Amino acid sequence: MSDHSKDRLLAAPALRRRALLALGAGAGLAAAPARAQQAAPPAQGTRKGQVVVGLSQEPTVFNPLMPGIEVDETIWMNVFDTLWYPMPDGSLVPSLATEVPSTTNGGISADGLRWRVKLREGVTWHDGTAFTAEDVKYTLELIVAPGFKSRTRLGHALVRDIEVVGPHEIAWRMESAFAPYMAFLSNTYVVPKHLLAAAADPNTAPFNGAPVGTGPFRWDRRVPGDHIQLAANEKYFGKGPFLERAILKYVPDMTALYAQFRTGQVDAIIGTGIPANFVPEAEKLPGRRITRTSSGSLEVLMPNLGQPALADKAVRQALYAGINKKGIIDVIFYGLHKPTESFAPQESWVYNADLPAHRFDLAAANAILDKAGWARGANGMRAKDGVPLAFDISTTTGNALREQSQQLLLQDWSKMGVAAKVNNMPAAVIWGEFYVRSKFQTLLVGTGFRSGIDPDPSNRFASNAIPVKGGSGGNYMQWENAEADRIMVEAQATFDTARRKALYLRLQEIVREELPILPVYQYVTAEGTKSNLMGYAPNINARQNTWNMREWYWA
Amino acid sequence: MSTTASTPPAGAAAQVIRPRGPGAFRRFSRHRLAALSLVLILSLTLACIIVPPLLPFSDTEIDIMQRFASPFTGPHLLGTDPLGRDTLARLLMAGRISLSVGFSAMAISMVIGIAVGLYAGFYGGRIGAILMRFVDAMLCFPSIFLLLAISAFLQPSVGSIIMLIAATSWMEVARLVEAQIRALRARDFAVAARAIGASDRRVMFRELLPNAVAPIVVAATLNVAHAILAESYISFLGYGIQPPTPSWGNMLENAQSYLTSAPWLAIIPGAAITLAVTGFNFIGDGLRDALDPRQEAR
Amino acid sequence: MSGYVVRRLGQSLVLLLMVSMIGFAILHLAPGGPLSQFAAGGDMTQEDLDRIAVQLGLDRPLPLQYVEWLWRMLQGDWGRSYRDQQPVLHIIGSHIGATLELMLTSTLVAMMIGAWVGILGAIRRYSIFDSLATIGAMVALSIPTFWFGLVVIYVFSVGLEWLPAGNRYTIGDESLLDRLHHLIGPCMVLALVSTAVWSRYMRSSMLDVINQDYIRTARSKGLPERRILLNHAVRNALLPMITITGLHLPALLSGALVTETVFTWPGMGRLFLDSISYRDYPVVMGILVFTSVMVLAGSLIADLLYSIADPRMGAPG
Repeated sequence: MSDHSKDRLLAAPALRRRALLALGAGAGLAAAPARAQQAAPPAQGTRKGQVVVGLSQEPTVFNPLMPGIEVDETIWMNVFDTLWYPMPDGSLVPSLATEVPSTTNGGISADGLRWRVKLREGVTWHDGTAFTAEDVKYTLELIVAPGFKSRTRLGHALVRDIEVVGPHEIAWRMESAFAPYMAFLSNTYVVPKHLLAAAADPNTAPFNGAPVGTGPFRWDRRVPGDHIQLAANEKYFGKGPFLERAILKYVPDMTALYAQFRTGQVDAIIGTGIPANFVPEAEKLPGRRITRTSSGSLEVLMPNLGQPALADKAVRQALYAGINKKGIIDVIFYGLHKPTESFAPQESWVYNADLPAHRFDLAAANAILDKAGWARGANGMRAKDGVPLAFDISTTTGNALREQSQQLLLQDWSKMGVAAKVNNMPAAVIWGEFYVRSKFQTLLVGTGFRSGIDPDPSNRFASNAIPVKGGSGGNYMQWENAEADRIMVEAQATFDTARRKALYLRLQEIVREELPILPVYQYVTAEGTKSNLMGYAPNINARQNTWNMREWYWA
Repeated sequence: MSTTASTPPAGAAAQVIRPRGPGAFRRFSRHRLAALSLVLILSLTLACIIVPPLLPFSDTEIDIMQRFASPFTGPHLLGTDPLGRDTLARLLMAGRISLSVGFSAMAISMVIGIAVGLYAGFYGGRIGAILMRFVDAMLCFPSIFLLLAISAFLQPSVGSIIMLIAATSWMEVARLVEAQIRALRARDFAVAARAIGASDRRVMFRELLPNAVAPIVVAATLNVAHAILAESYISFLGYGIQPPTPSWGNMLENAQSYLTSAPWLAIIPGAAITLAVTGFNFIGDGLRDALDPRQEAR
Repeated sequence: MSGYVVRRLGQSLVLLLMVSMIGFAILHLAPGGPLSQFAAGGDMTQEDLDRIAVQLGLDRPLPLQYVEWLWRMLQGDWGRSYRDQQPVLHIIGSHIGATLELMLTSTLVAMMIGAWVGILGAIRRYSIFDSLATIGAMVALSIPTFWFGLVVIYVFSVGLEWLPAGNRYTIGDESLLDRLHHLIGPCMVLALVSTAVWSRYMRSSMLDVINQDYIRTARSKGLPERRILLNHAVRNALLPMITITGLHLPALLSGALVTETVFTWPGMGRLFLDSISYRDYPVVMGILVFTSVMVLAGSLIADLLYSIADPRMGAPG
């Protein structure tokens, strides 16, 4: 029996259900854990071999509180621990905490303002120092410390009066009730006070280049630009690790990465996965196992409602009807991704499966535009009140499959009298001012619309989250809707999951009707491992599927 | 990248080359490879202009059912790309773009280079020195840095790509012209022209520049080659001409992920680039021999 | 001589200052910035992004940022990477080995093959060999490097399976043989252009020397042709090549950058591209200064060596 299933037994059944409902995505209980049982897992304390995990981006940020990107979490989740973490089914499993606090077990007060967390005893940092509540306190304080370059203070900024109740118990007060904080803490890694507090400046501490955590693997060495080597932490408090070493190999190009997977130079491709056009071939490779894993990210066409033509709902609806989703998904992406109507992942507990289904219908699209007064001009292109129905469609350069989707869209839309033009840019340019100051016209973008694993999308949809209008958030579409605002405020403040679910179901209806984003598909990533590498289990609620690398072993 | 292609042999830049002479054309046509290349480039250009309208397929017509057709197997002579577009039509339309990028970028870089070189070479002085130090500084950068950094400013379009390439390839021309003009300035005919009271402008454009035309023509030819190569590098680095407009560079860039399954998609545009660039390089070489009798004599 | 050295050094320093200014301006004025990568992820708020911009000092006027950068630079502080917080010099140091390995071996290969082809071409001018070498060099100069790299991978790695498709070594092996095996592909690609350049210059340099008086004198004295060529001609023809090596350095760096990208070689080129695409300003500036120093020093040393080796030249202007 695994360590975390033991923890789950310790927690009350009601809590488990609550956690399941409250957080993340359930439903899609992957078949992978069952597969992992094909060969008998090794006995605790035995370790054999190494795994080379191929990544198409280079992890460079090793302090888990500092600004990093998803690939950096590959390191964080193996070197550090959080208080609790999400399982594939959405339930939370205590890690450095001994139980997940809730209003039921008294860990969280009924008004959601007072939190109390019991911590695991007998845990040591990789350098041998004991882990205590002081470390957790230090971590929460460092995140909001003025000079520290922390990744995000969202949620953490509400924490007040942190109190070390005992060496292994901590409590704090929230400025206001904030349900998603539970999810944020499942992604907040605890750092050692004794190393960081001793440094003159935590921003430049030696720790940041050679992290010390409590996790299943400890930092071994890094060859910059090439790979990072982690070694097993023999004193890990949980299950595993069963490997002596884990090597995270950076191969900057996805095609080259796949080539190295095929030749066996890397044992597993995690993260960005195998490019869609290689998936059919990869699935036939002997000695390799390809797993299609759902991701919480969506591919959407993001219109900028600040553009006069795109501000018209009829235009957005017509454009949506003019997207050949089947053509894009089945032909260009070889059927890898899943068409979707909602901003929530289909595995989420708030997912609304009853939204009107999209139909690719150019005649209907033309009718919508005719009715809305967008008349065709001499050149066949539409305009209304002197505003031409013309815009740029932008995405990051160098993504061949996305560029193909764009060209398919262009061809279909031109039949509707829509003059769209491709204007792609490199990532550093497109995601700069162009994106956050809403300077784009339309974007083809893969992104998430939730808060970590909490379904709350207010950072993306609330009218006070429009940066270009003085707000703080990621509502770059500049969408404003009073009902949606009310729903999101209420859902954020309540811990009543049934109520939250009802609110988010309604929100999805509004978004589907108003189309502030035109959902194309939910991402499915094809990750691959060698067939005899056991224990790999995709987790839609983890940032990277190296989340359980401690349990991997060679058959 | 082979910026070196446009570097004349050691010392040639500083030597003053007297132009033309009646034998220049004869010498050029005797340079068999150059003559051959000229024919090749001319026919390539003509093909790009004339053939596309005659083809049964357009370069942007998507036919998803016909994707990845192999060359020489069906109605599509050179096969189709991942969206089922005809590779031959795209290759020729791309040729139009790539060749015009090559010529236009060359023209602009020559104008800038000649202007700077002429000014610095003729007047010298502080401004001239600053200009030439600026040229030196720009030449210090690996060209890819300049391409990458400057392209971030531009909306990628055919026009901006031309400007971009021109902006990163005028320095060697400036250096060449400056050296020529500085050397010619002291020569008898220039001194004489000034002695009879010709204006600066007249001396520059009527006396000096025509006498420096030979190396300029050679550099111009090589710059076309350089620009075509540069276009492909820009595409490779992700700043290229936007789809659906094809260029040799972006065809090649898009083919990368299909190298194993549809290698012809990469081989065909790559070969076109190599062919065209080789052609221009040979023409440049031939012109150098033709316009510079000294080389033949040795 | 020493006056000349001082003057050249002074000029180089001024150039270096200009390079850093131009580079700094282009880099910082270009749209996009180091925060884009975080905005793309979507889980950081605008507040977070603005705060980090202030913490990185990106909100201050550009000239001020430049002066501060320059001031720290003069004190030997190259700054720290935005990505991994490591000192820039340390990062350059950890990538330079791979690049030098690639550049030195390919230059060595290019020198040997290029010089041989050039000398032979000059001695047997207008022979079939010479014509083929000319055509070959011209084609080599015309092939897009990355395309050639892809073709090499397709033929030798995917097709014949003789060579690895990338990387510097197999993790866990790292023996000399393993490293050499990985080096063949990228070395071949990077050496292509250099070989062509070398052979062209070597040929014309050799032709110059052969027609010089002292070679004619040697011939008239009846010395054996082979000895004349080896002892006098080749030695003197190699002299100008010192300059070529120096002048060719920027092109070689660009070539290395592309080659490293194609072969996933963990060197400076890779670092440079990654740093530019993340807008990691301190690292990009560090690499720019570093390569500029290399380029300037290369041409300075080449000139000095040349004037020492060939006193007739005097000090070139």
